[in-house]
Amino acid sequence: MADLLPLVSFFINSSASIQLSPIQSELSLIWHAYCRDNYKISISSFVDQVSRINEITKGCFWKDLDSINSECALEYINIDKLVDLEEFLKVEDDNDPNRTNSLMDIDQTSPLPSYSAEDFFHMLNKPMNPPLNALEILITKPTARKELTISKMKVKWPKRQFAEVCRNNSHVHTLSNIFGNGGDQISKLRGKVSSTIYQCTLKNVHYLPIITNYTDISLGDCSYLDTCHRMKTCRYLHYYTLNASQCDDVKNDNLSKKFYLDCIANEYTLGDCLLEYKRAVLPPQWISCDVRQIPFSILGKFAVIISDPAWDIHMSLPYGTCKDVELLSLPMNELQDEGIILLWVTGRSIETGRKALTSWGYTISDEIIWVKLNQLRRTIVTGRTGHWLNHSKEHLLVGVKGGNLPWLNRLVDSSIVVSSTRETSRKPDEIYQIVERIVGKHARKLELFGRDHNIRPGWFTIGNQVSGVSIYEEEVRIKYEEYKKLTDRKKRL
Amino acid sequence: MIKVEPKSNYKRIDAKASPSIGLCTNSDFTDNYIHTGSPPISHVENSVNPLEGYPKLQKLRQLKSKQVADHATRPFGCRRKPDQIIPTVEKWIVENKLQFDVIMIGALADNQFIYPFLSQLPLHKLCSKPGFLFIWASTQKIRELTKLLNSEYWGKKFRRSEELVFVPLKKNSAYYPKTEFHHDDSSVPLFERQQWHCWMCITGTVRRSSDYHLIHCNIDTDLQMESITPERESNHENNAIPENLYRVVENFSNSNRRLHIIPSYLGINMPVRLRPGWVILSPDCIMDNFNPDKYQSELLRKSTIKSRSSSNGSPHYLVPQTDEIDELRPKSPPPSGNRRRND
Ligand SMILES: [Zn+2]
Ligand SMILES: [Zn+2]
Repeated sequence: MADLLPLVSFFINSSASIQLSPIQSELSLIWHAYCRDNYKISISSFVDQVSRINEITKGCFWKDLDSINSECALEYINIDKLVDLEEFLKVEDDNDPNRTNSLMDIDQTSPLPSYSAEDFFHMLNKPMNPPLNALEILITKPTARKELTISKMKVKWPKRQFAEVCRNNSHVHTLSNIFGNGGDQISKLRGKVSSTIYQCTLKNVHYLPIITNYTDISLGDCSYLDTCHRMKTCRYLHYYTLNASQCDDVKNDNLSKKFYLDCIANEYTLGDCLLEYKRAVLPPQWISCDVRQIPFSILGKFAVIISDPAWDIHMSLPYGTCKDVELLSLPMNELQDEGIILLWVTGRSIETGRKALTSWGYTISDEIIWVKLNQLRRTIVTGRTGHWLNHSKEHLLVGVKGGNLPWLNRLVDSSIVVSSTRETSRKPDEIYQIVERIVGKHARKLELFGRDHNIRPGWFTIGNQVSGVSIYEEEVRIKYEEYKKLTDRKKRL
Repeated sequence: MIKVEPKSNYKRIDAKASPSIGLCTNSDFTDNYIHTGSPPISHVENSVNPLEGYPKLQKLRQLKSKQVADHATRPFGCRRKPDQIIPTVEKWIVENKLQFDVIMIGALADNQFIYPFLSQLPLHKLCSKPGFLFIWASTQKIRELTKLLNSEYWGKKFRRSEELVFVPLKKNSAYYPKTEFHHDDSSVPLFERQQWHCWMCITGTVRRSSDYHLIHCNIDTDLQMESITPERESNHENNAIPENLYRVVENFSNSNRRLHIIPSYLGINMPVRLRPGWVILSPDCIMDNFNPDKYQSELLRKSTIKSRSSSNGSPHYLVPQTDEIDELRPKSPPPSGNRRRND
C-alpha cells in the first residue's frame, strides 16, 4: 500500500492547481501533471491508484461513484482525509522496508533494517540506470519549437514531386533503343515497353546515352555533358535526359482544403508576422541602378539582404566586377537594423566576404554550401575548376544582426544545398525558398547586384543588370522619384 | 521627369538548356529535405563512386594510390597527453631536426581547441617550405580560424589557398556534426549543419605548372562526400578523419613526410587509426611506436631524394611518379588561352 504514498503526497501538494484551469480536476490531465513530476506510471494504474485512495479514505474525491475511468473528473478533494492517509503511509513506509500491501500485515515490532558497509556501498554504486549518453540525448533532443516550426513549414510549402534517378541498366538500354537519337515522342512509349518500365518512366528520371559515329565509349563521359558546345563531334559520351513524365505536385485548387491547410499552418504563429495568411505577397520590385551610387536610405529597411557581388578576382566575366574596397564601403547599416544577410563568395573572396560581414556589424552564423551538380546529378569532379583542387561547391556566408531575433525560423533547412549549375555565376533558386522559410513570406527582402532572372514576387532587386524600374511600395516610389529629380537637376547644371 | 510605372509582366527566365523531355523537371532536393528529412547530399548520384563516368581519372587515382602505398613509411603513432603535444613537437624540432611537408591538424570533432593550440605551435619551424597545412574546423570554429589567419604572424607565413568541405551522407553517420547546446536563441544556428571545413594553407613558393614533382593539382575536388561502402557500413568503421581526406592530401602533395596532429581527446566513438606514410600525434593513438631516428632512416629508404634548388634546407623526400601518371594527370592548359571553364 505504501506505493500510494507519492500519489497521495502529490494530491496534497497540488490540490489547488489541479482544480484550476486547465486541469480542472480531469483525471487524464492530472495524470499528465503527475507524470511530468517524474512519476512514470501508466494511465490505467494511475486510475487504479486514485480509486484505491478514494476507497481507503472512504471518499476523498467522490462521495459515491461506481466505476472510475480516465474520463472522470474529481468531484472535490478532501485534504484532511488525504493528510491522514499520508501520515499513516509514512509510518508504514518507514517501518517496513518490505512494503507490505495490506494494513493488516503491518508488524509494528519488526526491527529497523541493518546494512553492512558492503551493502551500503553496493547501494551507492547501484546505477540509476540512465543510458551512458543520457545527457547527450537530452541536450541534442530537438526542441518543441524546432519540431513545430518544421511541421508548419511542411504545411506551408506543399510537397513537390521529387523524381529519383533510375539506375536500372535494362531500363536505360530498352529506352535508348526506342528513343534512338532523341527523335521520338514520349507519348508513344506506352505499349512499346513493359509496364514496369512504363511505370518507371512516369515517376523517375532516366539518362539515355547518346551514341554518334564519333562517340568513343571507352573515353567515358564528357566533362561538359549537356553544355558541350561540340556535342555532334565530341568523342566523349553525352546523355539525353528522360524526365519523369507524370507530374503529381500537390495542387491546392480545392479551396476548402486550402483553407483548412491555411488554418493549420497558422495555428503555430511563432516567427510569423501578424495575420500572415490574409496578406498577399507583394509583386516583384526592382530598380536598375549602380549599387554603389544609389542612396540606400530611399529603399527602407529589410529583414533579409542577399548579395551576389561580382568579385574582382582577375577573371574575365561577362559583366563589370566590383572592387573589394567598394563593396566593404557600402553603407549597409542603412538597409538593416536587424535581420540576416547572405553573401555569395568564391575562392579568394571567401575571406574578403567574412571580413565584410564583420565590418558591417554582422555575426557570421552559418555557411551554406552549394554542391553543384551536372546534368547527371553528379558532383562536378573534372575540368580544372579551381587553382589547386577542383571546385565542386560554392559558399554562401550567412550573417545575423540584431542579437537574439525571435522572429527567425531556425534549423529548418540544411546548410547543404544541392542543385544543378546553370548559366555562369547563376545561383540556385532554392535559396529564395530557404530564406522565405527563415524570415517569412511577407518580410521585406532585398537582392543587391541582382539580374533579370533574380526578379521575383516579394523581393526588391537592385543592380545594373536589371532592366528598368518597378516599384509598388508607395513610400519607396516617392523617395525614388525625388532622388531621380535631384540627380537629373544636377546633371543639367 | 522620370515616370515610375509598376510592370505587370515581369520577366522570369527559367529555361534549362539540356536536351530533355518529360513533364517533371523538378529535382528540388531542398523541398524534399523539408518533407522527408532526407539530406540533400544523399541524393547525389556519384556519392558511392565520385569518379563514375571518368575512367581516365579513376585509372590515375589507382596509379597514384599504388605509388603512395609502395613508398609509404610504416604507420607511426605518437601518443602524448594534450599538454605534452607542443613540448613533443618542440623536442622534434630542436633535437631531431624533424620537418614535415604536409601537416594536417585537427579532426572531425567539435572539442578541438584549435585557436589556442595553433597560436602556440611553432609551425613555421615544423613545416618545410614549400609546405602545406590542412586544418579542420566545425562551422562554429570558422570564426576562430579567421581570426588566426588574419593575425599578423599567420598572414605573413601561410596563405589560405583552398577550403575543403566534407559532408556526411546520413544523419546517423558517425561524421554527422553533433547538435550543440544553446543557452539562447542567438547562438542557435539558422541551418542544420551538415558539413566540416578544412583549410588548406600554403607556405613558401610552389608553382602548379612547373613544380609537378612536388604537387599534382586538380586530381581531387574541394568537396568530399562520405563514402558508404557496404563493408564500412557493417563495420561502423569510422576514423578521426575519413580515409578519402588523407587521400586528397596524398594525391596533391608528392612529399613523403606527412604529419597529422590531433591535439585533443576524441572520445570512444572516434578512434585514431594509424595510416601508412603518416606520423600521427594524438592523445588517442592506438600505437605509440614513433622513433625519430627510425622514421628518418625509413624515409631515406622509401623516398626519392631530390636536393633543393636553393642550397639551404633539407632535400625533398618524394614519392616517385611514373610516366603513366604524368600522362594522365590534369595539366595546366597551354598558354594559347581560349580554354573553357566548367563552373
Ligand atoms: Zn527505370
Ligand atoms: Zn562533349
